[in-house]
Amino acid sequence: MARERSMSQSLGSLSRQLKQLRVLMVGAGGIGCELLKNLVLSGFGEIHVVDLDTIDLSNLNRQFLFRHEHIKKSKAVVAKETASKFNPSVKIEAHHANIKDGHFNVAWFKTFNIVFNALDNLDARRHVNRMCLMADIPLIESGTTGFDGQVQVIRKGKSECYDCQPKPVQKSFPICTIRSTPSQPIHCIVWAKSYLLPEIFGVSEEADMDISENDDNIEEIKKLKEEALALKKIRESLFKDNFAKLIFEKVFKQDIDRLRSIEDMWKSRKPPEALDHDEIAQASAGIDPGVSRQDQTPWSVTQNHAVFVDSIRRLVSRYKIMQGGHTSPVITFDKDDEDTLDFVAAAANLRSSVFDIETKSKFEIKQMAGNIIPAIATTNAMTAGLCVLQAFKVLKGEYHKAKMVFLERSTARVINAEPLHPPNPSCVVCGNASSNVLIDPTRATLGHLVEDVLKQELGYSDDISVLHESAIIYDPDIEDNLSKKFTDLGLKSDSVITIIDDADEDPRVNLSLSINEQTLPEDKQPVILPDKVEVPRKPKQANGIKGPDSLNGNGEQQGEKRKRSASISTEPHSKKQASGKTDDALLVDDSAGGAIVLD
Amino acid sequence: MAPPIATTPPVLQGPSAKEKKYDRQLRLWGANGQQALESSHILLLNSGAGVVGVETLKNLVLPGTGTFTIVDEAVVCEEDLGVNFFLEQSSLGKSRGEECCRLLLELNPEVKGFHIQKTIADFVKRSDLSQYTLIILVAPVGSLDVASEVSQIAWDLRQPLIYVHSVGFYSHTSVQLPPSFPIVDTHPDPPSTQDLRLLQPWSELLAYAKTQTADLEAFSDHDHGHVPWILLLLHYLEKWKESHNGEFSVRDDKKAFREFVGSHARTDNAEGGEENYDEALTAANRALTLPTIPSDLKSLLLEEECQIPRNSSANFWLIVNAISTFIKKHSLLPLPGTVPDMKSQSKDYIALQSLYRQKSQQDISEVTSNVRALEHALNRHIPIPDAEISAFCKNAAFVKLIHGRKLIINPLKHGWNDNSITTIIEHTTTMNFVSGKPSLFPILIALYGFDSAIAAAASVRPESNNLLAAASASPGFFTLMETYIRDVFGKLDSTSEDLDEALQHTLNIAREIQRSGPGELHNISSLTGGMIAQEVIKIITKQYVPVDNCLVFDGIESASAVYRL
Ligand SMILES: [Zn+2]
Repeated sequence: MARERSMSQSLGSLSRQLKQLRVLMVGAGGIGCELLKNLVLSGFGEIHVVDLDTIDLSNLNRQFLFRHEHIKKSKAVVAKETASKFNPSVKIEAHHANIKDGHFNVAWFKTFNIVFNALDNLDARRHVNRMCLMADIPLIESGTTGFDGQVQVIRKGKSECYDCQPKPVQKSFPICTIRSTPSQPIHCIVWAKSYLLPEIFGVSEEADMDISENDDNIEEIKKLKEEALALKKIRESLFKDNFAKLIFEKVFKQDIDRLRSIEDMWKSRKPPEALDHDEIAQASAGIDPGVSRQDQTPWSVTQNHAVFVDSIRRLVSRYKIMQGGHTSPVITFDKDDEDTLDFVAAAANLRSSVFDIETKSKFEIKQMAGNIIPAIATTNAMTAGLCVLQAFKVLKGEYHKAKMVFLERSTARVINAEPLHPPNPSCVVCGNASSNVLIDPTRATLGHLVEDVLKQELGYSDDISVLHESAIIYDPDIEDNLSKKFTDLGLKSDSVITIIDDADEDPRVNLSLSINEQTLPEDKQPVILPDKVEVPRKPKQANGIKGPDSLNGNGEQQGEKRKRSASISTEPHSKKQASGKTDDALLVDDSAGGAIVLD
Repeated sequence: MAPPIATTPPVLQGPSAKEKKYDRQLRLWGANGQQALESSHILLLNSGAGVVGVETLKNLVLPGTGTFTIVDEAVVCEEDLGVNFFLEQSSLGKSRGEECCRLLLELNPEVKGFHIQKTIADFVKRSDLSQYTLIILVAPVGSLDVASEVSQIAWDLRQPLIYVHSVGFYSHTSVQLPPSFPIVDTHPDPPSTQDLRLLQPWSELLAYAKTQTADLEAFSDHDHGHVPWILLLLHYLEKWKESHNGEFSVRDDKKAFREFVGSHARTDNAEGGEENYDEALTAANRALTLPTIPSDLKSLLLEEECQIPRNSSANFWLIVNAISTFIKKHSLLPLPGTVPDMKSQSKDYIALQSLYRQKSQQDISEVTSNVRALEHALNRHIPIPDAEISAFCKNAAFVKLIHGRKLIINPLKHGWNDNSITTIIEHTTTMNFVSGKPSLFPILIALYGFDSAIAAAASVRPESNNLLAAASASPGFFTLMETYIRDVFGKLDSTSEDLDEALQHTLNIAREIQRSGPGELHNISSLTGGMIAQEVIKIITKQYVPVDNCLVFDGIESASAVYRL
C-alpha cells in the first residue's frame, strides 16, 4: 500500500512484523497520547490502552487526542476513538480501568509482545514493572517532568528493572519546624495545608500524635498538643459570625505570644511578631476579596487578611451544606479547589509575615502545596518518539543496542543516552524467584502457607515476612494473621504475595507467589505448590546498598505507613532531616512522590 | 486520598478556564512567556512529505501560540495519509496546507490558523515576511537558491528562522537568530546561582560574622556543629589573613586554606566530625572565587544599544545601561540575595537570609534609581516596572547574549561560515560523545547532499507535483548525492585516514536516505517536531537558552549532537 511506503522501506522486515504484534500501553496521558499516535502510524497491529483517569481541562495543553467536549470522559476510550480514525487497519482496545485490577493478571500480560508505561505515579509503575518481570515481557518505561524526560528499556535478566535503583524519597520536615520554628515559605505552606486546614475543616490528627518517652522536647510537644486542642474548641464556633476572627487571634496572636514567651528560642534571633487582628481588619475593610484572583504577585498583609476571612466564609458555607447529609464533613486540600487554595495561600502568607519570611504569590503556593509537576507537549513528543525507537531495538532482539535515554535542558546535547545496565543482583524485585501457589479458599489460612509450605516444605527459618502489595501481612511480630483465611486477608486468585527471607545468614532472594484458588480434596493440604520451587540464595552484598528488609530502596514506602512520632528538632536545616529520616518527620505530601513521575 | 465530598468551586472565584488549561506550562515560562506565545505568528514554509512541520505546529498550537500560517503547494496523496496525523481519508486530493490547518485548529479553539497554497518561491517573492514572529523552513525546498533567499530575508529582518530536515531515521534542525539575541530569563540551575560575596563581604555581613563567631572555640559541641558554613568561611578567612599579612590569594591559598578550616573541625564528638565543616570544605571551592562579570554580560555592555540608550530603546537596554553604571561604581553585580540551604539553627539561618535579602534590595534600589535617572534624561514617560528591573538584577550574572549566524544552506557554495577547515574535520571525525559511535556530523553533510540532489532533479522536472517521488525514481539520484558529498570532502583537503573513513560513513548514510524512500517516518518527525517546537518556544518567550545553532539527530542510535556553525 502506498500509505506505508516509507515505513516499510526504512524498517525492512520489522515493518511486516509490527502488524502481527500485540502492544499494551498503560496510561493515556501526555506521553500516552503521543505514543498512541506514533504506534498507530508506525503500523503496530493491535494496541491495548489502559487508563483509569478521566479527562481534565488542564490536560488539554498537551494531550491532543482530547478536546474540550471530552472533559470528564474516559481517557482510554476517547484516545481510542480519536486515534482509530487515522489508521483503519489498526485494532485498538480501550480499558477504562485500573491496571492493578486482578483480571490484568500475569497470564494476560503474557499475551502481549511489548508493554509501554506512560504513567504518572510510582505505584502503578512499580506494579507494571513487577508484572512484566513475572510475565517475562519487555517493558518500555518512560516519564517526564518539565523539560526533562527519560526512557528506560526493562527486560528480565537483561537489564535493570524499574526498582533496581532506589527512587528518591519524598521531602519531609520535622514537625517542630512546621509548628514552631519555620524559616522558609514551604514550612508555612505545609503548616497551612497539613495542620491548620485539617484542624478546622478536616480530621484532626493531633490527638493521635505519639510522644516518644526519651524525647527531650516532650514539653514542647505537649504544648503543641494543647494548642491543637484549643483550636478544636474554637471549631465549635464554626457558624458564629466572628469565627474567622477567633481563628486568626488563636493562630496569629495567642500561639505566637506563647512561642515568643519561650525565651530560649529567641535569644539571638528575631522573635516572631504576632498580628493584631482588629488593627489589620480595620485596614483591610475596604479590600475586595476578589484580590484572590491576582495570583502572580504576593498579596500584602491586609490583602491576605481579606482573603483569609473570605475563604473561611466560603469554606464554612460549604461545610454547612455538606453537613446536611453527613455527620462530619471533611474538606481536604485540593490544588484545583479555589476555596482551599485561597485559604492555604492566605494563612501561609500571614504566618510568613509573623516569622519575617518571604511571602509567595498564590500561583507559587499552588505549585508548592499541590506538588504540581510542569508538563508540556514538546517533552512528551520527544519522549514518546524515543520510546518507539527503543521498542524497535527490543523487537529486533537487539538489547545490546537498546539504551537508557534522557532528555536534558542543557543545549550542549539535548539527548543523552547510556547502554542498559545489567540487573542489580541485590534488587529485591527482579532478583526474585517466582512461582504459583494453589489454595483452597474454604480452608486455607496464612498459617498453612507459612508453617506447612514455607517452613516445612521449602525450609525457611522463622525470620521471614510475607508481603501483599507492599503491606506486611506476616512477620514474626505479626502472628495474628496466621489463623486468618486467605480470603479474609483480601487474597484471591491473581493476588501476588512476596516472601522475604530476613535471616542474617545467607538469606534467599525474594519469592513471589501468584495465587490460584481451587477446591482441593479434603485429604490434601489446603495450600500446595504445583511446581517445583527453588529459591536461590542472595548474592553476597558487594557494596551494601540495600538491606534485605527494604523492598524498594527506601524505608518509607514499605509496609504500613509509619507512625508519626514527634520531636522538636534543634537543627531544622540539617540536610539529613530534610531528605530522608522519617522518625520525626511530617510528610509534605502524601500523594505519589519521586523524581520523574509525570505522564 | 479520598476527594472532598463537594469540591466544585464557585465559578466567580476561580482562575479563568484558559489559566487552568495552561497551568502546567505556566509553571515553566510564566504569564510573560505565555503572553509572548499568544501574540506570536509562526510561518511554516512546508515541503517534502510535510510531516515534521505539521508536528511542530501541533506542539505550538497546544500551548496556545497565537497564530500560524502554512504555506504548502502540495495536494494530499495516499502516501501522506500513512504518515501525517493531521490528514484524514476525505483529505485526499485537497490542499494539504488547508487540511492540516483545519485539523490543527481543532486542537485549540484559541489559536488562529491560515493556509496558502503556493510554492515557497512564489510566496516569498510576493509577501511581506516581517509580519511573522518566526519562520520555519522545511527542506528539501527544491531550490537551494530559494532556501538561501528565505535565509537572507529573515536575516535582514532580524527574524528568527528555523531550517529543518527529517529524512528516514535522521533529522536536523538549524536555528538562525539575529546577530544580537539577548536572554535575561535563562532559568539557570539552582546550584550555580550562588553569589555570596565571601571575598568581598559588605560591612554588615562582616560585622555579623564577627559577633557570631567571636567565641567559636568556646562553643558547646552542639553550637559549634551548627555554625552556618558561610560564617565559618568568613571567620577563618579573617583568621587566615591575620597570619598572612592581611592577604588571601584565591589562586594560591585555596588548598591550604581548606586544610586550615578542616583542621578546626571537632572530631572528638559522637559523630566523629562536623557536618557544617564538611559543607564549608565542599562549598569553599566555588564560594571562594572573586565575582567576575560574565562574558555574556560584558559583551552586552559593549553593545551600542547599551552605551547610547535612546528614548525608543527597549526596556532591556535601559536596564543594561543602569547595571553598567552600577558595575562601574562597585566593580560588582547586584547581589542576587539567595542563600543556599545549610546545616544551621533556624535563628542563624533566618538572620543570614535577611542580611542577604536586605543587601540585595539595596543594590536593586540603586539600579532602579539609575534607571529612573536615565528615563528622566531620555524624557520617557512610562516607567519600567520595578519587577522587571528587580528580575533583571537577580538574573544579571546569567544573562545570555547569543550572536546569531546565518544558516548554511549549501556549504559547497557558501562555505561553513567562519569555521576553519580544521574545525569541520574535527566535527566530521570525532566520535559521538554519547553513543561512542561515529560523529553525527556526516549526517548533516549527507542531508546537504540530499538537498542538492533533489534540487538537481527538480531543475530537470520542475513541473512534478511530488518532487520526492520523482527524485527517488530517478536512477541517478544516489550518484547526485555521492558527487556532492565527495566534493564537500574534497574541499576539506586532507588525506587523513579518519576522514576517509568518515567519507565512507557519510556515503552509507546517503544510501540509507535513498533506501528510506527518501521520505519521512512519522515517529522521527514527531520526535523532531518536539525538539523544534521546544526551540521555537524558547526563542519566542526569550526564556531558557536555545540551541546555538545546529542540532543533528540520529534515530538509529537515539543520539543527538549540537554544532555551532
Ligand atoms: Zn531490579
